[in-house]
Amino acid sequence: MVNEDSHQPSSNESTEELSKIFTIKTQVGKEQNTADLINSRATKSKIEIPAILVTPELRGYIFVEGFDEERIKNMIKTVSYVRSMLNGDIPIEQIEHFLTPASAVAKIAEGDIVEMVAGPFRGETAKVTHIDDAKEEITVELFESLVPIPITVRGEQVRIIKRKDEDSEKKE
Amino acid sequence: MKNLKACKNCHLLTDNDVCPRCSLPTSKRWSGYVIIRDPDHSQIAKKMNITTPGSYALKVR
Repeated sequence: MVNEDSHQPSSNESTEELSKIFTIKTQVGKEQNTADLINSRATKSKIEIPAILVTPELRGYIFVEGFDEERIKNMIKTVSYVRSMLNGDIPIEQIEHFLTPASAVAKIAEGDIVEMVAGPFRGETAKVTHIDDAKEEITVELFESLVPIPITVRGEQVRIIKRKDEDSEKKE
Repeated sequence: MKNLKACKNCHLLTDNDVCPRCSLPTSKRWSGYVIIRDPDHSQIAKKMNITTPGSYALKVR
């Protein structure tokens, strides 16, 4: 049992003990389930875990915020889908960018040449004709198609292969 | 797994079509998952300006 008082600063300390962030390796695709299981296990075993983070960018890993590395390590041993826990903690600055994800269409501009990386047109190249920032969707015209048909896809479904600026720079 | 929906304003995950806190419509299109258990002692909660425990989405569309 962890007594909450044990985390109180001593009379000489003026600052509160900062939590640490640990990285846990999980089965790929089971990150959210693992987070839920760790959450309920932490409640049962009364281990102080202020937060658990699952980011879509990092498959097979989750971040657990806590204080006692050894206790967390012992607790997760019997949690399903957990592979291992990486030694040591990481500073919050390293995961800060995950907490405020940028829009999927932020880096895409009209006129860019993109490659479809998902969906039925995977592998095809296309030109961006319209961007919907609110919905994070883009409208493209496939190069391969005989008749230019506008197709609307999600921003994550494309990869930029040539920017419009690069084209205009070369012409100059 | 339950089909959770996220509030477009506070990012709270809920089963309802309306956020129980903001009374705004929720969305099925969300990504990223954060469980805040103790916002007072969490660096992640502070960075995300979350003051209430619960499950949250990182991104809601």
